[in-house]
Amino acid sequence: MNKRRFKFFSVMVLCLMLILIAFCPIQAANKERVFTYILDTEDQETADPQMTTWAYTIPMNIFDGLVRADTIAPGQSDLVPALAESWEISDDGLVYTFHLRKGVKFHNGEELEADDVLFTINRMMDPKTKALNTDFYDMIKGAKECLNGEADSVEGVKVLDDYTVQITLEEAFSPFLALLAAPPCAIFNRKATTEAGSNFGLIPKKTIGTGPFKLTSWTVNEEMTVEAFDDYYRGRAKVDKMVGKIIPDIATARMLFENAEVDVFDCDFARSQIPYFLESEKWSKQVVSGPRVGVFYYCINESIKPWDDVRVRKAFQCAVDRKIILDKIYHGQGILANGIMPKGLVGYNPDLEEIQYDPEKAKELLTEAGYPNGFDSEIAIISGTTSTRDELVQPMLANVGIRVKIKSLDSAAYYGTRREGKLPMYTNVWSADFNDPDNFFYTFFSKKNTAARSFNYNNPEVQDEILRARRIVDPKERIALYQELEKKIVYEDAAWLPLFSLDHLFVVQPKVKNFKVAWNGWSSMPFYGIEIIDK
Amino acid sequence: MAKFIFKRLLSAIPILLGVSLIIFILLNVVPGDPITLMFKEHIYPEVIERLRREMHLDDPAYIRYFRFIWDALHGNFGISYKLNRPVTYLLLNAFPRTLVLALSAAVFSWIVGIPAGILSAVKQYSIEDYFFMGFALCGVSMPVFWSGLLFQYIFALKLGWLPVAGYAGVKYYIMPAIVLGWSSAGTIARLTRSSLLEVMQNDYIRTARAKGLRELPVIFRHALKNSILPVVTIMAIQVASLLSGSIITESVFGIPGIGRIAVGAIQSRDMPLLQGSVIFATFLVIIGNIIADVAYAFIDPRIRYD
Amino acid sequence: MIDGRYNKILNVNSEINKNNIELKESDELRRDNVLKEVTNTFKKNKIAVIGLFFIIFLLLIAIFAPYIAPYDPYAVNLDLQFSKPNIRNWVGTDVFGRDILSRIIFGTRISMLIGLIPTFISMIIGIILGLLSGYYGGKTDFIIMRIADIVLAFPSLLLAMVIMYTLGASLLNIFIALSIVRWAGISRVVRSQTLSLKKMEFIEASKAIGVKNWNIMWRHIFPNCIPNLLVLFTLNIPGAILSEASLSFLGVGAQPPTPSWGLMISRGKEFLLSAPWVSIFPGVLILIITLAFNFFGDGLRDVLDPYMKY
Repeated sequence: MNKRRFKFFSVMVLCLMLILIAFCPIQAANKERVFTYILDTEDQETADPQMTTWAYTIPMNIFDGLVRADTIAPGQSDLVPALAESWEISDDGLVYTFHLRKGVKFHNGEELEADDVLFTINRMMDPKTKALNTDFYDMIKGAKECLNGEADSVEGVKVLDDYTVQITLEEAFSPFLALLAAPPCAIFNRKATTEAGSNFGLIPKKTIGTGPFKLTSWTVNEEMTVEAFDDYYRGRAKVDKMVGKIIPDIATARMLFENAEVDVFDCDFARSQIPYFLESEKWSKQVVSGPRVGVFYYCINESIKPWDDVRVRKAFQCAVDRKIILDKIYHGQGILANGIMPKGLVGYNPDLEEIQYDPEKAKELLTEAGYPNGFDSEIAIISGTTSTRDELVQPMLANVGIRVKIKSLDSAAYYGTRREGKLPMYTNVWSADFNDPDNFFYTFFSKKNTAARSFNYNNPEVQDEILRARRIVDPKERIALYQELEKKIVYEDAAWLPLFSLDHLFVVQPKVKNFKVAWNGWSSMPFYGIEIIDK
Repeated sequence: MAKFIFKRLLSAIPILLGVSLIIFILLNVVPGDPITLMFKEHIYPEVIERLRREMHLDDPAYIRYFRFIWDALHGNFGISYKLNRPVTYLLLNAFPRTLVLALSAAVFSWIVGIPAGILSAVKQYSIEDYFFMGFALCGVSMPVFWSGLLFQYIFALKLGWLPVAGYAGVKYYIMPAIVLGWSSAGTIARLTRSSLLEVMQNDYIRTARAKGLRELPVIFRHALKNSILPVVTIMAIQVASLLSGSIITESVFGIPGIGRIAVGAIQSRDMPLLQGSVIFATFLVIIGNIIADVAYAFIDPRIRYD
Repeated sequence: MIDGRYNKILNVNSEINKNNIELKESDELRRDNVLKEVTNTFKKNKIAVIGLFFIIFLLLIAIFAPYIAPYDPYAVNLDLQFSKPNIRNWVGTDVFGRDILSRIIFGTRISMLIGLIPTFISMIIGIILGLLSGYYGGKTDFIIMRIADIVLAFPSLLLAMVIMYTLGASLLNIFIALSIVRWAGISRVVRSQTLSLKKMEFIEASKAIGVKNWNIMWRHIFPNCIPNLLVLFTLNIPGAILSEASLSFLGVGAQPPTPSWGLMISRGKEFLLSAPWVSIFPGVLILIITLAFNFFGDGLRDVLDPYMKY
């Protein structure tokens, strides 16, 4: 190789090296109190809670709603004033009048006014917004008309004065107040959101809220950073910066935590590791646990024979030894669930009869239903996810004659098939979005939703009652009704098999203080209140 | 030369079209719909219907395809269903990271592969041969996510020398580059070895030896020059395999590059993003091929293209 | 440069040869010589021999798995979850208490199948298309090669993923997906060999005599490709095994509870810190089997090299 060529190649190599170095950003030395956590395994799509149904972690930290659900005792929560400092509900349950807190600042310095609430609700119901969470406001008078294009704005929202806003519902809807505490009901600033247009929720600088943190940077597929908002109405957060990383691989997430590169590890990622953390000298004191207001369940698709026969469904309920799953796979960290409403939810019935594990009875029921030799069926899972419950249930069912094959679908196929009502039996968990029984009953068993979740539950009487329960104003009467419906759906109709309510465990680094599990045990949670104390 | 490059670029077009057609057909056949996926657990059936209508997802297939091609020709690859941002923006942001990863992996594969190949050829059938070839081949013999994991465990967790994941600086790229590069090293080693063996048997080498020249300089000056050729040609294939391998490496080491984007796009049936990423990746491979051919001609003046 | 000896030896039944009996004798002598030569050179490459032994060893394990494995690879025993390697379970147990050694042994079957079947199928497709493409040239060549270009330009893992999503994740579909992804490179190789062979005189002669095209391809061209193809086959097997492992990592490979090594590694990695034996041992096995095929294949290539040059 002659000199000329040699020079050429060495120049190329030098250029390569320069490129490499150029991509190494300057690390600023700082004494900031930074909280690093794993945000998710995938990018969050948007920080606008009206435009997403699941990416709530960032919104819960940069926005506030009119009310908030707070844990007042382990497993107990209550609705406390947030942006609204007080409110009145009319006797017929139709009119809600909110008195807003004065002097609440948005991240852009603007003050919160009733007009912002008006704007927020109108924006959600404006068909041009293409919001996904319209169900959260569509019980307001005139909301549906606005969505259909028949009206320009939502009739039922009125600004009475700068700090008072009045919302009138189409009909009485008891879950309304609880619902307003949910993430999609965050309040936006009219000026900022209108200016941002379609970039709201995508460009950090333009995503303005009232929350304790403001979104400062977002690298797609890598991380989202929020910084403390100095003028937060409850006082500045005790953490300066929070970095949420996107890590698709669980083993990597685990190692990041052990290597102190992230400050909290969500044990939902790797439940099998819980005994390791609980027994390890290093970590056992750093485990934070809280109950989950949610139920792990098995869905039974009544449109697939022979599951349309209630005896077959009851046989399924008796054939599964839930206790052993709870003890062996989940290390006893939770309680058995027997109904629909989990512990911690308003209306929870602690005196429900336990669904007994009785394989003999299951076999009897099957024979009665005409399947003395059992039958073949399927359980669907999302490929790539751990299917420990299913792999344990499989032999249990085989024991009574139900031979299930585990069918694996990728997530798009899974959700698509489920929406069509055709997904065979599957297991999942549902944690409360807001503290009201309606969030459970309506989601699974109402006529509107039961097919889209592949339950295909069909009991018109019960389903009408589910709708009626939303309109009952007297809380005692409502709860009594729900408890009755619960027994019907689970014991008489055997529409699903509730498994258990698991505690949610997190492990935190020693420098993290005051980490509390959210009231509903969600992974997405507000981090306000956490302190970082570097030794 | 310029004509040659131009002709090659022209022939790239049917390939790109073919690739995008295959993706389109496959993604339409695969069950699952991106809109429903957007909702995950909180499904609101009516909202889903409304969105599908507004996004023209129920139009017949050929209309959708032609609309896509038309837009693509104007440089508009659409907006990702899932990530809500223009596809071109996402790809241009992710590409530099994959590029750095791929380049450093390639460099590492040369550092390991070429000496291994040389040593192995010079000392054929000896312990050194087996050892060095074995070392290079180990990379091809381990699933990248497994070796990545072991590296993370040993070098990050146990020894604390390097960070586990991320991409905020040079040291974040070291492990992924080694893991990814190692998997190419075996191929490079093999190629170097076999071409060196071939060349070493040539007459002019024997002549040089007969002239009394020492072995190593002979090898370096004469044999190596000619062995570089195959390595250059393999560069093109390396691009393709490194892109493929980067998918897993980026997942394990948390690097937000093209591989991650492509995998995410498949999983969420994100047609615009998937089309964009695959076409982009294919284009890179084609460019790699062209560069390799040009470099080939550059290094060996005997080879000339019309 | 064609090695005339080798050519003739494999074309013992060639219709061109009129002196069948004479040639047969001397051909057989030559064939013995060639085989001896090949084996001797091969023996020099000690590690290739070791590789061959490992391959045979693992093949035997795969065939006799039910007799060798101490336990049922699917037997769940929750009391024994995550036991360390001990007397009962030499390699320990996994999250369901299943014996890992038995799963590894049965996994050998799956790995062998995954290594051999898709590679074989893709070879057949590649050979046929390569022969057709090189021999007939023209439009056939153009179309086949464009398709091959497209398949080759695609990042192979992505293509395999999309195919798996379309077909659904199962072992059979993995065979299909891996076959589709790998045939293009093979067809290129066969095509280029066909192209060079096509110009050889004995092919022209055969055509002149009136030997049918198919016969020419099958009896004259194809056999000359065999040494190259043998090496390609051996060296492609590890790639298939690793691809399945990657697909399992992405969730579209073999599905639980199949004891595929790739699946065991990708499922076991979340326990790497507390129960490393679950994913380390299958990983080591994959390393061994792929190294074995790699060394053997390289040795094969060294030995068959003189016969592969054109």
